[in-house]
Amino acid sequence: MTDTITHEEISIHQLLDRPWVTIVWDDPVNLMSYVTYVFIKLFNFSAEKAHELMMAVHNEGRAVVSTGTREEMERDVQRLHEHGLWATLQRDDKI
Amino acid sequence: MSTFERRSGEVSLLVTHDEIEILINLTEQLLELLGEGDFFHHYDVNDPLAQLLAVPDEIETPEDPVLKRLLPNAYADPEAASDFRRYTEPALRGSKQRALRKVREDLLVVFESSDDGGTVEDLEPDSWLTALNDLRLALSVRLDVNADSFEVFELLPDEDPDKPVFAVYFWLGWLQEKLLGVLQ
Repeated sequence: MTDTITHEEISIHQLLDRPWVTIVWDDPVNLMSYVTYVFIKLFNFSAEKAHELMMAVHNEGRAVVSTGTREEMERDVQRLHEHGLWATLQRDDKI
Repeated sequence: MSTFERRSGEVSLLVTHDEIEILINLTEQLLELLGEGDFFHHYDVNDPLAQLLAVPDEIETPEDPVLKRLLPNAYADPEAASDFRRYTEPALRGSKQRALRKVREDLLVVFESSDDGGTVEDLEPDSWLTALNDLRLALSVRLDVNADSFEVFELLPDEDPDKPVFAVYFWLGWLQEKLLGVLQ
């Protein structure tokens, strides 16, 4: 084993560490002001950042709101569901 | 017409008798749908011990479309979704029931003290926000709400049975917006 890390090793390392993401999906019911409020409350986002994410959900149909371990994302999804937002978690598909 | 107010940090709601009746009625219906016919448990569903003993073998995705929206799948993959639901759905139901119960209790105090409506004093904004939101979500499923629903509502003839339900749905949205407004 040399101390040079090959590209192959890096990609395996990245694959294993590939984070999970929480996605919030657009729906026609939740008020834009409420979605922004929930993002600030749950994730401590600034008002600007929360508004930006809310608009991304609204315009693009979905947005990634948090990234982390599977357990962390499960907690985030559960809290979003408690607030009536439509959220799912999955492995980050960007690598 | 109902209004939320905020004075020295405390939020209150002025409501008419008719509005209280509508809100209690909807709140009780949703509590029943969430599986709470008599409005109380003998144990707190969020108690770790209760959950420890009560993890079921399996909980299916609800068939009722309202419950499906209120208790959605966390994963696209059905097996992962089912496994997650097994451990978390009781707590999610419990959280929604707690907010609805709180709102119902707040309203009952005013309902029982006067025939003319009155003021819900020092309410818990977060319970009210999530309860109002869950009521809107529930009605939206029944009304099949989409982005054009306000136009649809305005064009509905007065005798259409959906018209008053739409009116309540939009009123709840207006209430929720007012509450968010006083929290700013």
